[in-house]
Amino acid sequence: MSLSKLWMLAYRDLGRNRRRSILTLLSVSFGLALLIWMAGLIAGVLEDSLQNSIVFRTGHLQIRASSFEEDKLSLQSKDLLANTEDLTTRANALNEVKAAAPVLWAGVILDTLNDSASLQLYGIDTASPIYTPIQTSVVAGSFLTADDRDGILIGKLLADSLNIGAGQKVNLAIVNADGQPDEGTFTVRGLFSTGIPSYDQSSVFMPLSKAQAFTGVAGHASAIFILLKDQADTDKVAAALQGPGVSIVTWSSMNSLLINAIQAGMSFYVLLDGIVILIVAVIIANTLLMAVFERIREMGILAALGMKQRQIMQMFLLEAGILGLLGVIIGIVFGLGGVAYLATTGISIGDKMAAVAGNSFALGTTIYARFDTGQFAALSLATLFVILLAALYPARYAAHLEPVDALRS
Amino acid sequence: MDAIQLENVTKVYHVGEVETHALNDVSLNIGEGEFTALVGPSGSGKTTLLQLIGCLDKPDKGAVKIKGQDVTRLNANQRADLRRESIGFIFQFFALVPVLTAYENVELPLLLGSVNAKERRERVMELLKAVGLSDRARHRPDQMSGGQQQRVAIARALAPRPLLVLADEPTANLDTDNGKQAMEIMQRLNEKTGTAFVFATHDPRVVAFARRVVKLRDGRIDSNGATG
Ligand SMILES: Nc1ncnc2c1ncn2[C@@H]1O[C@H](COP(=O)(O)OP(=O)(O)OP(=O)(O)O)[C@@H](O)[C@H]1O
Ligand SMILES: [Mg+2]
Repeated sequence: MSLSKLWMLAYRDLGRNRRRSILTLLSVSFGLALLIWMAGLIAGVLEDSLQNSIVFRTGHLQIRASSFEEDKLSLQSKDLLANTEDLTTRANALNEVKAAAPVLWAGVILDTLNDSASLQLYGIDTASPIYTPIQTSVVAGSFLTADDRDGILIGKLLADSLNIGAGQKVNLAIVNADGQPDEGTFTVRGLFSTGIPSYDQSSVFMPLSKAQAFTGVAGHASAIFILLKDQADTDKVAAALQGPGVSIVTWSSMNSLLINAIQAGMSFYVLLDGIVILIVAVIIANTLLMAVFERIREMGILAALGMKQRQIMQMFLLEAGILGLLGVIIGIVFGLGGVAYLATTGISIGDKMAAVAGNSFALGTTIYARFDTGQFAALSLATLFVILLAALYPARYAAHLEPVDALRS
Repeated sequence: MDAIQLENVTKVYHVGEVETHALNDVSLNIGEGEFTALVGPSGSGKTTLLQLIGCLDKPDKGAVKIKGQDVTRLNANQRADLRRESIGFIFQFFALVPVLTAYENVELPLLLGSVNAKERRERVMELLKAVGLSDRARHRPDQMSGGQQQRVAIARALAPRPLLVLADEPTANLDTDNGKQAMEIMQRLNEKTGTAFVFATHDPRVVAFARRVVKLRDGRIDSNGATG
């Protein structure tokens, strides 16, 4: 019997119990749409948090003194760069480099009358385009100027939690380059809000020259922070900047923690995918089994007419195939629609969530989905495949009924 | 040559400890073009016999030969082929495929075979005409009366031009007039096409149509009404 006629039988059989067919179709569609939404959101979160981390925290590349250790934020001159102007000029001269600027980091304690917070100090080149994202996210007061001698910039979230505002004075305490405790009084010039709570809560900015004076590391910097026009040029630029006494670190090694967390998150996500696909498979198997049980005598009649086991099996697999294919198509439509919505409007996860996640993810308070076409296609194919797999048992059951038993039922 | 030969056929059903000898050492020949009634009390083995002749089931002992070929040795696929080509079935319940029209139901066994489209069309229309349902070709089973459905089933059984049509109480669910009409149609088609018919029945009015009557009792042939 030609496949096209079996196809017609299968198609009409689906119309017999229209409500059941439609419900099954919808559960397949919804299941797949859910998978696509999750995949889109996860792709978005991962890419956004990586990009946030690159833009605000690590840059694409950093030039550091060979002995610099990131977790110590040492202020000793052997761990710092001396010829900062030279290195910055060299980096900026490269075509692939969007911006390069020296930065000085130190651990500081910020004190108000009633409260204190442990922060990371950033001594920055206020004129560099690297800090444009900070400049545009200033929500109160103003950004810093290079010659500001006592101005600092802190995150709005931090300011709110310490109950301070722009214009107010605060105390900063450090252990300086000579290992001596030191402190100074500064004025909060402005508040910024990047939308990344983990960053907004723990950073304090001041002009590089003031930071150098405050920490006692005249002329030195912790690193040259470099952003590229195209992330793909990272290795090329790294090679070009290599030199004696310095090490070049790339975004991938600086974000290895984040990337590890991403991979760990992925395995959890694969589990979720598996659960959703399993549920879809159970629904399909159940629908098909019910269809088989309702039609046992008909299987006997078809067998009496000379239909072979293989053809009966094909007929049920075709039924599953039609349900699966239609379900997957509808699922893709809903899935892409949802991703389009989530990519533009996003989901607000709130400050607290973002801050908690911020230990490993540089998350914004709103997360956006992204189109990950390869992933979506893989999920759709996997769903279709599992549906056909789930249909095998009912189809085999129908095919292997004994004609006499089927007819007697 | 006889169309069908049953040689010392025994069929035993086991239900728990209980053994039922549904057929006990039955031998029977059915010639080509016969029009034979199979009678006997309930439980005498009529349905079992038809199932064995129709290659739907295998005997525990003995041989079933169709045109001289022992079918008990065939595998499931080969038996399906044999049923499709050589045997038509008519059941007591009107065994049509509910999602197919009258036309499509009659066409179905031809689709399972390899009859070309033109030939299919001609045969289906001719058979629907022969059973008086040309105007019902596009009706689904649930849009037809029981009598009409059984006539579609008769047309379907004859579509592959089988050697033999087996009918298990074909009139049991029909009223007198419809039963008579169905029997007349089968008789006419038997004469016209030369296809043999064997029908199991309790109804004396149906038996009256038969040219030969085989009587079963307790799984044995009581009288085989052989004509020669
Ligand atoms: N699948 C089965 N399992 C067990 N016993 C069976 C089975 N099929 C038939 N039998 C038994 O075999 C015997 C013959 O049954 P069969 O159906 O052939 O009788 P029948 O002559 O067709 O009866 P009826 O006129 O009531 O249709 C009966 O005793 C019946 O109970
Ligand atoms: Mg019976």
